[in-house]
Amino acid sequence: MPNNTFELVSFVPWTLIFTWCNLFILFLIMKKLLFKPVMKILEQRQNEIDTMYDTASTASEKAKELEKEYSLKLASANEQAGDIMKNAQAQARKRENEILEEARGKAAAMTEKAHAEIEQEKKKVYEEIKGEIADISVSIASKMVEREINAKDHEALISQFIENVGEDK
Amino acid sequence: MGSEIAVTGPRVLFRIGPIIITNTVVTSWVIMAVIAAVCMYLTKNLKVKPDSKRQIIAEKLVLTVYGLIDGTMGQKWRHFAPYIAALFAYSFCSSMSSLVGVKPPTGDLSIIIGMATITFIMIQVVNLKYKGVAGSLKRFAEPVPLILPLNIISEIATPVSMTFRHFGNIAAGGVITTLLYAALAALSGLVLKIVPVAFIQSIPIFQVGLPALLSIYFDVFTSFLQAYIFCMLTMVYVSGAAE
Repeated sequence: MPNNTFELVSFVPWTLIFTWCNLFILFLIMKKLLFKPVMKILEQRQNEIDTMYDTASTASEKAKELEKEYSLKLASANEQAGDIMKNAQAQARKRENEILEEARGKAAAMTEKAHAEIEQEKKKVYEEIKGEIADISVSIASKMVEREINAKDHEALISQFIENVGEDK
Repeated sequence: MGSEIAVTGPRVLFRIGPIIITNTVVTSWVIMAVIAAVCMYLTKNLKVKPDSKRQIIAEKLVLTVYGLIDGTMGQKWRHFAPYIAALFAYSFCSSMSSLVGVKPPTGDLSIIIGMATITFIMIQVVNLKYKGVAGSLKRFAEPVPLILPLNIISEIATPVSMTFRHFGNIAAGGVITTLLYAALAALSGLVLKIVPVAFIQSIPIFQVGLPALLSIYFDVFTSFLQAYIFCMLTMVYVSGAAE
């Protein structure tokens, strides 16, 4: 067995050659099984992040554009609303005036009509009073004279008299 | 007390014709298989959005090695990362394998020589690549031709010192652990002699506990440190050869 065990400090050329091969194989193992897949995934992640950043910046640009567009639209809408309000107000004022005018006209017509009616009524009453006074005068005169004088003549006389009085009045 | 304490090197497991295969080489293969399996496990089902701890560990490992390369060699040496990772993993796992009771491959001088010669060859190749044949020969005569022999010695001393440092640390750890176990066994035997029962006398009470504490230093700490030093020196020497 002593032939099979080397000294602590000994050199075996075959082991040296095996070690070279082993290290080369281990290098390939590390490269293919660890570094390559990990770097591949890291690269993919970097690409994905880059794409995400690109997308995000495009989206924010678009959003800014839209914001501008909408603020412009909003301004024009506000303007339009103002115009509409102004128009409506002007129209309302016009209509108000019209209604007032109409009402005033109606009121005036009604007053006039009322005046006319009053006048007519006055005339009628006046006529009635005139007739009654004539009747009363005739009856008074007939009582005073008590004869011959014809009632018809008297009536004519008195009414003439009252008419004159009325005209003097 | 007359037992012999044997501190030996690698043992021949089998031979294929003239090819000698030692136990340290077989351990190396087992370690490589374990490393490959761990790599495959860590990089299984990688996702752009990581949802497993093992993917995070895999990414952390890769980025740590790249960070080390960037810090000591520079970004343009990133293609070196897998080799440095392989070197570190091999050295560390080999030294740690003594924890499971096998002879650590890094305690075999031939294996350390193999690791150091690769670094040495890399230094020469990088020199030739960056300075050309004339330039890489001229550097031995700089700054003055007088120190040519010194420069050659220092060039050869690089892999030699790397080898001896790594081998010495791990082998010494192994030797000290062996001696300690023997000493503690002797001590147990001595103390338990009071009890006149042969069975109890054979219980190595002092071998429990104390070696574990020393093992933390000799196996775990030294393993990590030597692997780190070896990788660092390789990175520094190789990138230095390009300047």
